[in-house]
Amino acid sequence: MARAKVEQQQPATGMTLIVLVGLAIAFLLFMAFLNVVKSGNLLNETNFLFATLIFYAGAGALYLGFGVTGTQSYLKFASLSTWAGLVANTAAIAHRWYESGHAPFASVYEMLLSFVWTLAVLTLVAEKKYGVKVIGTVTMPVAIVGVVLMQLLRTDVHPLVPALQSTWLHVHVTLAMLAYAACALSFALAMMFLIQDNLKTETVLAVTSASTLAVYVSIVLTRFEKWGGLNLVAWNPEVKSEVFLSKGVRLFVVVPDLGWLMTLTLLVVASPLVFYGLARWKKNDSFLTLANRAVFLSILLQVMTLVMFVLRARDGRYSSLDADGLFPTTLAASPFILSGLVGGIFISLLYLLLLWRRPDLERSLPSADNLDRITYKTICLAFPLLTLMIASGAYWANQTWGSYWSWDPKETWAAITWLVYAGYLHMRITRGWRGRRAAYFAILGFAVVMFTFFGVTYLLPGLHAYA
Amino acid sequence: MALDLRALGHKTWRTIASIQTGVVLLILVVILAAAGTVVLQRPATDPDEMQNAYSPQVLRFLDALGLTDVFHAWWFIGLLVLVSVTIIAASIDRFPNSWRYFSRPYKYPDESFRRSVRPQKSLAIADEETGLVAAERALHEMGFKPERVVRQNNFGIFAERHRISELAVYIVHASLLLIFFGTVVDGLWGWRGYLSLNEGQTSNLIDIHDGSTRTLPFSIRCDGAGQENYQDGSPKKWWSKLAVVQDGRDVQKKEIVVNDPLLYSGVRFYQASYGSNGKVDKFSLIATPSNGSGEKQEIGLTVNDSVPLDADTTVRFAEFFPDYAVRDGQVYKKSNYLENPAAHLVVTSKKAGKDFDVWFPPIEDVADNSKAPYQFQATDLKLGHYTGLQVSHEPGQWAVWSGVVLIGIGLACVFYVVHMRFWAVPVCDPKTGKCSLWIGGTANRNRDVFEQRFSDLVASVQKELKLVPRTSASEQIATFAGD
Repeated sequence: MARAKVEQQQPATGMTLIVLVGLAIAFLLFMAFLNVVKSGNLLNETNFLFATLIFYAGAGALYLGFGVTGTQSYLKFASLSTWAGLVANTAAIAHRWYESGHAPFASVYEMLLSFVWTLAVLTLVAEKKYGVKVIGTVTMPVAIVGVVLMQLLRTDVHPLVPALQSTWLHVHVTLAMLAYAACALSFALAMMFLIQDNLKTETVLAVTSASTLAVYVSIVLTRFEKWGGLNLVAWNPEVKSEVFLSKGVRLFVVVPDLGWLMTLTLLVVASPLVFYGLARWKKNDSFLTLANRAVFLSILLQVMTLVMFVLRARDGRYSSLDADGLFPTTLAASPFILSGLVGGIFISLLYLLLLWRRPDLERSLPSADNLDRITYKTICLAFPLLTLMIASGAYWANQTWGSYWSWDPKETWAAITWLVYAGYLHMRITRGWRGRRAAYFAILGFAVVMFTFFGVTYLLPGLHAYA
Repeated sequence: MALDLRALGHKTWRTIASIQTGVVLLILVVILAAAGTVVLQRPATDPDEMQNAYSPQVLRFLDALGLTDVFHAWWFIGLLVLVSVTIIAASIDRFPNSWRYFSRPYKYPDESFRRSVRPQKSLAIADEETGLVAAERALHEMGFKPERVVRQNNFGIFAERHRISELAVYIVHASLLLIFFGTVVDGLWGWRGYLSLNEGQTSNLIDIHDGSTRTLPFSIRCDGAGQENYQDGSPKKWWSKLAVVQDGRDVQKKEIVVNDPLLYSGVRFYQASYGSNGKVDKFSLIATPSNGSGEKQEIGLTVNDSVPLDADTTVRFAEFFPDYAVRDGQVYKKSNYLENPAAHLVVTSKKAGKDFDVWFPPIEDVADNSKAPYQFQATDLKLGHYTGLQVSHEPGQWAVWSGVVLIGIGLACVFYVVHMRFWAVPVCDPKTGKCSLWIGGTANRNRDVFEQRFSDLVASVQKELKLVPRTSASEQIATFAGD
């Protein structure tokens, strides 16, 4: 029924979206230009970064538009916008490099800068060389989240502490960025494979709802405070850093009412999963219709939560349970909650895209066999890079601390990542794992990569304190 | 009984060498290593912090399981050994097959092989030699070295490239074992310690991390150490000038910095820390007589130095506090860190028959700076420094790094070097007398790319077939038969 409806629709000419995105880009560039006129400084990093964001956002919208309507002309403009964003991104990197005198790999901010750059390059390569056209639908939003995070984590140019003054550091981090970007690409390809492999739409519903739910559950479990408040890290705007009570212990402030809002959103986000469960249990598909409506509702509520969160957490002073007085907080103090919220919305939107436009998507993607093979090839690229990344890191550590392997959390998790991909390769080559199982394996691998990249830095203590 | 034992042995071997066993072991390694990053680890975390983080029962439980020091626990090391054993067993199990494949290339395809191999193609040819020459030329053009294979009744063309690719996976596994071997050697015979030297000091005693001390057969002398800062005050560089002293002679000298250690007879010295040792190297002052008669004098003192200022006045540098506190009219040393320094001079005047305590800074109720016969102005305070050196001996390092290089080469071969084989066999139907050239090929990876190459080859053979004149072909077959 839904399928028939889709096919009845007139093929869109596609001009509307292009014009809208073009206007938005022009408007934002014009605003930026006004800013430049005011400050009289055109070529600085902030402007480059802003341009990067605008173009990637435009590209993301157009890729999404292509995914939704299947209009080929969107794709051309989307690639064009990605190219423009890449140029701005390159300029931002070059500027940073020139200003600091070292390759931009010394902080989370600088590494994100390089990561987003690599991701954009690989997106264009996948699109031009392998004909995976809608890859930008997945990678561009990731890039956008990256650039937004960068704005928050923006740091001044710090001189390198002695341990970081090594060529091996640059080799190590370059390899890491390349490897991680290749892993991200294999993840996106594996997802597309699953779509082409007729993974049931409701299974995708369950998985996307579960991931969004996981975001809210972890926020509410760790940050919910008495009387419906939400704990956020206090921020010292003068030194641009979190407020520490003692070594490693952060000061939290309580933002009132946000906790209730988060809990409410959690319940609504959970409801599609509940309906899905009911549909499976009662074997009644009418629950699935309910579940889809619940997804729609949950997106509205998630957007509202995000807006409220941004408004309340952007600035303002709040009381704390651990210290007297009022303390300021800012978005930069809670990068993970913010990216969790944005990521949740994005995941739900992807599901809607699949729900509404599955036949079009399937038509514009390469065949399942091809996607499977390209995923494998990307991992064949990622695995040697991972190996060399670990080896160069070990060599650097040996030059600096006199020990090539000390089982610090980042090292251990890099080894775990390596083992997971080694497992993938063995299962594929000797056991002939293809298709679904291989795709799940690739997705698991990328989850571990993400944990190694972000989770270890922020959740586990270790020597990699600079990163 | 004996038979049973053999069956059991065979079964055990199959289990050890199977890929499932390897994967299960790897999953175990992953889970335990992950646990080791989540639970605080013993040698790195100090006991107080551990007690703050966990309740006593939980801590006792974790300790009993060895989870507070996962990476040195016997079961974790045992697990890694088991992984190595499975890698070795799996390689031994599979190697002979691959070696046969590698050492005795399959050069002439028999009929059943010709039926099954993909991709393949048959082209019509005038006679056998025409086909062979065309195939040879086409392969030459593609950069191969085709070889004529002669069997009793038939002959063909064989060409291949990158046969080593078949063995690449063993290179990777062998280098992994080499790395493991290196770490085991380091674990058994290597050690890591710390050496702290003041400027000018010589020592050969290393504090090992487990609390013991190790005496080196040579000594290290620190000829100087320093720190350079960026403009914003953050450290840019630490350096130490070190000399190796053996049998009373300087045998090696080097200025080390972070990332650039000194290596002597397998022991490496790394710049690890640098700081003030709380002692004074030189305290420079200008002394002016209080009564205004007489000249200014510049003096330099170290602790316990005495200098005469005039015939009946001397000054002695009595004490130096890197971090002082005053309690009940007494000055105490609070810590060894250079936080809040104070210097104590004693001016002895024979004329007054009395000692005056001069303090920098002039501490209230303690200092009688203004009463002293001389007024002092501090111009410079040079402090002594120590340099902290990380010392390590890793005899297995060579194995680790050669393993790393090998694994790089091995992986490049595994993923990017493709073993390609091409065969061309002329087949003539004895009834009709019509001949065709059978062409087949295999590649051990990247088959989609290979298929493209194969069709390029076929096209090239077809082109050559048109070019090869018949006459020259029959001449060649004559010479060939004559050999």
